Parts: sequence; structure tokens; C-alpha cells
Amino acid sequence: MIIVKKIYLWLSSLRGSIYVLGLLCVFFLLGTVFPQGRDIALYEERGGAFLPLVKLLDLLNIFNSVWFLSLSFIFFLCLLFCAIRRYGIVSNKEKGLPKNIKPRYSLRTCWGVGEANEEAFQVIEKTLNFKRIGQNDGWVILQKGLYYKWLTWLYHAAIIACFPGLLLSGFFMTEGILTLEAGKETEIKSMMGDETLGWLVSPDHPLPSFTIILDEFLTEYVEFPELIYPDDKRSRFAIALGWKDLEYELKENSLFPKDWLSRLRLIRGGETVAEKTIEVNHPLKFESYSFYQLAYTQTLNLRINNSKELIEVDTGRRAQEIAGLNSKVKVGTLRTGTLFKLNGTKVKISPFLMMKEVITDAEGKVTTREEQKLELGKSIIIDGDKIELIDFQEKSMLSYRYDPGVPLLWVFGSLVFLIMALRCFGRWYMLAYKIEVKDGKTLLLLSVKSKGLLADPEWLKDKITRIINA
Amino acid sequence: MLTQEILGRDAYLLTIELKLFWTIAALYVTAVPLFLLFTFTRLKSIGNLARGILTGAATLHIILVIFRTFEGGRAPFQTLYESLSWFACSAAVTFLIVSRKWKDFRLPGAFVATLCAGACFYALFGRDPAVEPLSPPLQSYWFESHVFLAFTSYAVFIVSCSIEASCLILRPFLKRGMIIADGFTEESIRRYRRTSFNLVTFGFPLLTFCVFSGAAWANEAWGRYWSWDPKETWSLITWSVFTIYLHAYGIRKWRGNVASYINILGFFCMMMTFLGVNWLAKILGIPSLHLYSV
Ligand code: HEM
Repeated sequence: MIIVKKIYLWLSSLRGSIYVLGLLCVFFLLGTVFPQGRDIALYEERGGAFLPLVKLLDLLNIFNSVWFLSLSFIFFLCLLFCAIRRYGIVSNKEKGLPKNIKPRYSLRTCWGVGEANEEAFQVIEKTLNFKRIGQNDGWVILQKGLYYKWLTWLYHAAIIACFPGLLLSGFFMTEGILTLEAGKETEIKSMMGDETLGWLVSPDHPLPSFTIILDEFLTEYVEFPELIYPDDKRSRFAIALGWKDLEYELKENSLFPKDWLSRLRLIRGGETVAEKTIEVNHPLKFESYSFYQLAYTQTLNLRINNSKELIEVDTGRRAQEIAGLNSKVKVGTLRTGTLFKLNGTKVKISPFLMMKEVITDAEGKVTTREEQKLELGKSIIIDGDKIELIDFQEKSMLSYRYDPGVPLLWVFGSLVFLIMALRCFGRWYMLAYKIEVKDGKTLLLLSVKSKGLLADPEWLKDKITRIINA
Repeated sequence: MLTQEILGRDAYLLTIELKLFWTIAALYVTAVPLFLLFTFTRLKSIGNLARGILTGAATLHIILVIFRTFEGGRAPFQTLYESLSWFACSAAVTFLIVSRKWKDFRLPGAFVATLCAGACFYALFGRDPAVEPLSPPLQSYWFESHVFLAFTSYAVFIVSCSIEASCLILRPFLKRGMIIADGFTEESIRRYRRTSFNLVTFGFPLLTFCVFSGAAWANEAWGRYWSWDPKETWSLITWSVFTIYLHAYGIRKWRGNVASYINILGFFCMMMTFLGVNWLAKILGIPSLHLYSV
């Protein structure tokens, strides 16, 4: 029993919470040093230096490891025990009253001895709205503002209340990625995701299925002129001294993605149940699901050297080999959709992309030739090969998610922030006063304790002094 | 307006901006030795000059930030160039507000001015100053509040850390009776540490809001409120270290140097979140959703 009590006391102590949180920080840190979600075999193959430790602590999947989850649970216990233990302290009014009060300020008044108590009552309780909470050794004790200990207790309790939300996310969350082609239907028949801890509750817990259709995928660009800015430090300094000029240049491909949008429809039992044009930061929400615009893919149909067969090529930043070409090429993003120009006008982009030859010399040094613009229906020559852009397809990539933990987390997360802000920025005073007569003068003795950044005992003293003198 | 005219105008505005920015950086650098000199000479004129120069730099910096806001037509903290500038500006302004009544304690000014100068020169030498449009993930109502409050809390933590570091440096001298001037005593060290604690108490709810709003934003943009991305994880480390600091301050025995060291550790974690994590992700080849800000 003594051991249990000791553990309870340690976990509910400030010191205990510091050590546990410190240890959690070490895990967080490890999680940023070791790439998460990678395969341990790959780590081993690449000669990973810390293999035994990585295996022992499951460092490549640290945030789902037994160690981390156990430590998080211990931290949860810290919070819980702390809240239980401190509930008694906070709610005990007697314990909150100060003892052996020493005066901090001694204010001279012009009150007569008989009327002093009544005058003090008028000033402090009536004018300044302090509430009397007790008496001790002749001191009248009052307070004003939200009691800080309750606020501290409450937001710690709200942190505890966030844990069920995290658990709900962990057990029931399901998510996935959809790659949609315009006009084609895709069925969403969701089950618990394998990567979640859903198997603990039920391995097959189907959610109602429906169909999703992408009606249209749109891209929008803005003109984004390139700044001709020197790379070396001296030239940069020269601009500051006015020895060099700056210039903006508008090139063929000086475009910046403004938006990408997917016009979606959800269908259940032959009826449209939801529709929306989604974009990044503006998902479509339906029942417990949310569909997010993640990215898009582009596939080009190229004809190489007039051959009959078309070759499918993905756009992207990497240099790639294309069947029929002598050299490697970098195939830039296909620009299509709407262009918002600098001068305020809006035009339809005639689809094009930039392509360039990549040359690797005998020593493995990589250089590139100048970019060429390849327009839809037109051709370019790279290293003697003719490349013609015949057609292209774009697919929209969406992520979807079902997460019942989110509403709980938002409610209690907001509460944590709001109550914490009240506690830290607000003001709370505990004031004790006593009348003392010395050398025929009536003195108002004050003792002030305050919490919160807006509380200022000096300001309070000055205010009381001003009222007394008035 | 014709496109060529727009390009010419933008280049001209950027040239003015860069000149102003270089001037500000030079002022920050000038303030550093003056703050240090005051600490050793205690000459009031030098202390006032240091503060005056920092005030001038901060005033110009506010003008620069407003100028950039008009140039870009949006809040000026999208690119790292802009963030570094805003980081320095908010740190200098916060320091000037917090220290407005300090007459004998100028060493923190040297720390703050060094950091401001470092951030400015990194932006000027190392980053591209072009005004970029907002990329789709950043087009959110969370953008301004999330970033603004993050940098406000950073500014507060910088000043808090500079106070703690100064106290740690000055205390041994004080103990040997070497710098007792103008009433700078053990008691004033306790008072300054209290100020430092109050600063963290101010910054902590803001940082809490940042972690929370970051999660809300990620949920809106990617559908996942937390993905253990390196930047997210480092922000959680920073938040946890400052939580530890606030708790350590509640333990009487730890209120002195121990709490100071934790506060300084919090500052390093904050710098990791802001800058270090980008380098870490690049060096270790860890993919990060936040790397667009590099
Ligand atoms: C992530 C979790 C936590 C956060 C964010 C947090 C945050 C804070 C903050 C900001 C303060 C200072 C302001 C105030 O006094 O209200 C504080 C104080 C306090 N916390 Fe926590 N806390 C956490 C966990 C814990 C745990 C596990 C315990 C249990 C021992 C605990 C016990 C306390 C106590 C007793 C105080 C008052 C200290 C004093 O009177 O000086 N906290 N907490």
C-alpha cells in the first residue's frame, strides 16, 4: 500500500510530471532524427549504425511503439492523479486562506477610529467590488477575479478530456487516398484502416458505402515574374549600395499555382447526396467523412519520331528515360487551365510544358540544356529526336478521412486554450486589510497577493490611496 | 498598367526595400558592442545610445514590414526571407517594450540585437527577396493568426532567454562583488527572473494556440491534424520544454539556475522549430510537409 501511495504521490507531483514529460521529449526528438515509417530492412541494408537500438525501441515507428504509448499513458496518469489530488486542495476554502499575514502597504487615512471599518468596507467591498472570503487574526480577507487555482485546475482537466478524443482517433480513424479520373465513378466502401489500432475494437466495421464522381478538375495559375537576383554575397551587397540594379523578368513558364479545384459529387442509391468544388483548405464534408484536395497527377501522350504508337509519360521534376529517345529528359508540369495575368486580365492557357535534355558526363556530372516549350499538338527536337505532344490526362488526388475523435479534440482543445489564456492573461487579487491606530492616526494596512499578467498590486494600492484621499 | 511597367515598379520597390533592410541590419550590428560596452563601463550615455540605436532600427523595421505588406498585398511572412525579417522585428520591439524601465540591465539587449542582426543578414545574404504569391496550402484563414502568434511567442521567448542568459552570466561577477552598480543586486536578479517567467507565461498560451491552430489547419488542408511531421514534432518539443519550465518554476529549489537552463533549452528548441528542422530534414532526408517554407 505504501508503495502504491508513493507512486501516486510521485506521479501527481510537479517533479514527477517534469521527468515524464522530459522523457517524452526524448522520444519526440528521436522521432525527428529517425525517418518514420521506413522499412527496417532498408535501414539494415544501408548499414544503419544503430540497428540494435532501432529494433529495441522500434525507432522507425516510434510513435506507435509500446514504449512511447506506455510513456504517454504514464503521463496521462500524471495528469489524472494531479487533478484528483489537487481537486481537494482547490476546493478546500479554509486551506486557501492565508495565515500569518504581514502588511505590504500601510496607508494613512483621515478616518476617525469609529468609522474606519465602515469606510474601509465602503472602499474595498462596495467601490472596488472585492468579495469577502474570510477573516484571520483581525484581517479581513477578500478576493476579486476568477480564482486562479480553479482556472489552473480546469485547463489541466481539459487536457485530460482531450485524451478520449485521441483514443477515438487512434481506434476508429480511417483514411485513404483516391486518384480520380474525370467522369469515372469510385466506390467508397470504408473499413477500419490497417495502420490504425482499429483491430482492437473490430476488424471489420463497415461504414455506409457511396459513390464519388469527379465532374471536372481545374487548375489556376498566376503570372509570377522571376527576380534576377545574384547568387554571390558581394553582388547582393552591391544592390544595397545602388551599384547594381534589380530586375524582374516574365518568362514563358513564369507561372505559380494559384489553385487546383475538383468538382465532386457523392451519390448514394442513385441520388446525389452532396456536391462541392473542393480545393486545398476547403474540403467536402459528408456525414463523418471529409474529402481533401491533396494533389494531382498528369500523364502525357507523346509521339516520338513520328512512330505510330503513343508513349505515356508522367510529368515530374526528375530526369527520366523515355523509350525511343537518345537522352534523358526532364518533363516539367503541364500548364493548362486559367491564367490570372499581372495586368488584371484572365486568359485560358493553351496547354504546354517545358522540357529539357539532361546530360551526364563520363565523371557522372549532370548538366542540362536550355528548356524548350512543348505545346499541345506541336513538336520539339531534343538531341535529334522529334517529340510531339498529342494528348494528356489529369487525375485529381484526394485524401479522405473518417475521424470521430476530431469534434472532442476541438471542444476540449479550445477549452484548454481559452481557460489557460484566462489564467495567464487575466487578473486575480487576494486582498487582506486591517485597521490600525498609531499615534492618533488611523492606518489602513493592506496585504496583496495577485496572479495573472494583468494584475498589478502597485496599481491596486495607488487606486485605493486615490479613493481614500478623494 | 502594362506588364512591363508593373515589373519596373516592383523592381524599384524591392530595391528601396533592400536598401532599408541593409540599413536596419547595420543598426542592429552597431547596437551589439554598445550594449556590451555599457555592461562593463556602466556609462549611462553609452547605454542610452545603444537603446536609441535599437529603437531606431526597430522603428525602421516596422516601416519595412508595413512596406513589404503593401508590396505583397498580404501578411509578410510567407517565405523564409520574410519570416526572418519579421522574426527580428518582433524580437527587437518586444525587447524595447519589456526593457523600457531598465536603467542598469542592458546585457539582454546585446543578445537580442545579435540575434536580430543574424536573422537580417541570413535573409539578405542567403534568401531570395522576391515577393511570392500565396501557394494553395497557405490560402487559409489560419495563415495570419497562426504565423503571427507563433512569431509573437518566439519574440517573447527570445527576450526571456536573453534575460536568463544575462542573469547566469552576471551572477558570478555579482557574487565576487564586481558589478554592483546602480542597485544591481541579487534581489534585482530575482526580479528579472520573475520578468522572464512572466514573459513565458505570456508567450505560452500563444504557443499553445499555435500548436492547436496548426493542427486545425492541417486538418482542414490535408485531413490529418497530426502527422508527426518534423516541424510539428519540434513545435511539440518546444511546447513541452516550456511546460517543463513553467512547472520547474513552481518548485522552490529549481526556481533559480535550473529553471534558467530549462528556459534557455526552450529557446534552442524554438530555434530548431523555426530553422533547424528544415536543415535536419534536408540532412537526414526526412520528408517534411513544411519544407515549402525553406
Ligand atoms: C501537457 C500537459 C501540461 C500543460 C500544458 C501544463 C501547463 C501548465 C502551465 C502553463 C502552468 C502555469 C500556469 C498556472 O499556474 O496555471 C501550470 C502549472 C501547474 N501545473 Fe501543469 N501542465 C501540464 C501537466 C501537468 C501535470 C501532469 C501536472 C501534475 C503534477 C501539473 C501540475 C501543475 C501545477 C500543480 C501547477 C501550478 C504550479 C504553481 O503553483 O506554481 N501540470 N501547468
